[in-house]
Amino acid sequence: MAFASSVAERLPVTVLTGYLGAGKTTLLNRILTHEHGLKVAVIVNEFGEVGIDNQLVVDADEEIFEMNNGCICCTVRGDLIRIIGNLMKRRDHFDHLVIETTGLADPAPVIQTFFVDEDLRDELRLDAVVTLVDLVNVQQHWEAEEVQEQLAFADVLVLNKADLVDEAQRLVIERRVRAMNPVARLLTSANADVPMQQILGVEAFELKRALSLDPGFLAEEHDHEHDDAVGSVALVEERPMDPEKFGGWISDLVSTRGPDLFRMKGIIQFTGKDKRYVLQSVHMLLDGNFDRPWKPAERRRTELVIIGRDLDAAGLQAGFGACVA
Amino acid sequence: MEPPPTVPLVSKRLCGDLQQAITALAWSPDGEFLVIASAGGELLLLDFRAGCEELLRGDRDSSLDVLGFSSDGQFLVAAGQSGELLLWELGGPGIRPMAMDPIPLGRGWIDAVAWQPRGLQLAVAAGRQLRLWDGASRQWRDDTLDLPGTVQALAWSADGGQLAASCHGELALWRPCLSRPPAPPLRNTIASAGLALVFSGPGNHLACGLLDCSLLVWPQGCHGQPWQFSGFPAKVRHLAWSDQPGRLAPLLASASKEAVVLWTQVSQDSHAWKPKPLFWHERRVNALAFMPGSNLLASGSSDGTVALWDGRGQLLQPLEGEGPGFNVLAWRPDGRHLAAGDAQGRWWLWPVAVPAHEA
Repeated sequence: MAFASSVAERLPVTVLTGYLGAGKTTLLNRILTHEHGLKVAVIVNEFGEVGIDNQLVVDADEEIFEMNNGCICCTVRGDLIRIIGNLMKRRDHFDHLVIETTGLADPAPVIQTFFVDEDLRDELRLDAVVTLVDLVNVQQHWEAEEVQEQLAFADVLVLNKADLVDEAQRLVIERRVRAMNPVARLLTSANADVPMQQILGVEAFELKRALSLDPGFLAEEHDHEHDDAVGSVALVEERPMDPEKFGGWISDLVSTRGPDLFRMKGIIQFTGKDKRYVLQSVHMLLDGNFDRPWKPAERRRTELVIIGRDLDAAGLQAGFGACVA
Repeated sequence: MEPPPTVPLVSKRLCGDLQQAITALAWSPDGEFLVIASAGGELLLLDFRAGCEELLRGDRDSSLDVLGFSSDGQFLVAAGQSGELLLWELGGPGIRPMAMDPIPLGRGWIDAVAWQPRGLQLAVAAGRQLRLWDGASRQWRDDTLDLPGTVQALAWSADGGQLAASCHGELALWRPCLSRPPAPPLRNTIASAGLALVFSGPGNHLACGLLDCSLLVWPQGCHGQPWQFSGFPAKVRHLAWSDQPGRLAPLLASASKEAVVLWTQVSQDSHAWKPKPLFWHERRVNALAFMPGSNLLASGSSDGTVALWDGRGQLLQPLEGEGPGFNVLAWRPDGRHLAAGDAQGRWWLWPVAVPAHEA
């Protein structure tokens, strides 16, 4: 269609999450004052904390809209639909939108809003979910559901306040965070001082970036000493997959386990196809397509990472294994 | 099918520019003033009697999104991103509008306000609360309407007696001015968020466009259960009623994405309404307005055109802008001029001839 907006024309959106006191406001102030050449508009859910002159900062009252009989996957943020609708009339006056959620917010409805709402889907694109982790205090609220969800949904994890903990303590937290979310980019900071190009313009939701991570991560032995409800399963298969079997398995998985599946990212090798298939999901929202041909030097194989709650690793491995052509 | 009219309805135009996208337009009841607001907070007043224009506010980098003249033409209201209510008092001819002190509400972006027809109450959506500012006493009234969610849309009935407000999950009908203490509002549960609300003049029907791609229409006098229409391609974001009484109800127009549908009531049963889709627009329709005193409909779209339709859904004339999409439309109360505003800040004013069979 002639009028469809290309990826480049859609406004990039960064979602900033993190538990209370993790440093979201500090990071937001850095984004607003940094000389990155971008005009940034900000939507805040915590009133009155950000006050920088000449910046477009808009307050919104968190409001959940449950659609279609309250299914978790159709839950969106009504306040964002309304405020962004108003803000988009000023589209020419900013290049990037940052949404700061409250420390207790569930990131899923925020993310889903950008895929479910017709206007937001057409005019904006989710760039990345950036989650701040408070290295000093996170140990005290591991069990909080919000903390685990914020970690699970992240594309970029900023381990903040590194100057206030020792190396051993940081490594313990890093390992535990990695076990929950092995696909996020991991940054370490003091005072939320992180390179802007590492958190803005990440394009984490572009399919071509699915699993663009350290090549070694799948081989790493993830430790399972923690019994966190939220965790991850990495599935690898060298043999090509059967498109019908795989399609059936994955749609069945999201329809039966959708509420517990937070994020999935994968690159699939299908039998008889020269191109790699890339996919990702948020709860039940599944997106995938054929990307580019496998490169000659590339190792052709299927890699799939599932982040979720109460995952049955053996069951997932068995279902996945049965999709081999 | 009739042959298209040989004399075009529109043959000339006036236009001008603001710095940012036009977000709202309003005519004074006597048609002598047109105000134009922009996403940069500019507010331009065109005074046709004096033949001049006045910038009531310059670019503030804070959007204005709603405008309105009180029914007696005494007050002008504007509101938007700043969360303040801006009011002007209008004097007689030759007296320039006097700005009153801004009234802060502290509930974030204001995008719905409405003056009472035949009265002086100003309804304001302030977060989850509907408040009334009384133009006679120049004070807030004590009675408010609280909703379970942020007010998305509000509308007065044409007689000014009834006020409707919608949020996610509820549509409330309230008669704030009739009795003291006021009667409790009638609360209707709705399946989604009501985005557009409009009462018909003749018959007092109420229509509500919803986020879940459906439309609700309450029968005459808002009594009983509404008809529900679903299967729209997208949110039903704009609605308009003709002011001409039909056989059972006036014509209703709905806009959902690029699809405009003209609805005619043909019976009282469950298949009471006959839809007529209007094919022209290629992108989202952002505004619908029937010409006062006529069944002629204007639709403005992001595709950069305004289309004029007759009451049977025949395209009478498309009007081309200069590329950017049209955001808003407003007819002069006598129906002789159509004002439009586009996404780049250009406003347009077209004198419109009334087509013979609509007059």
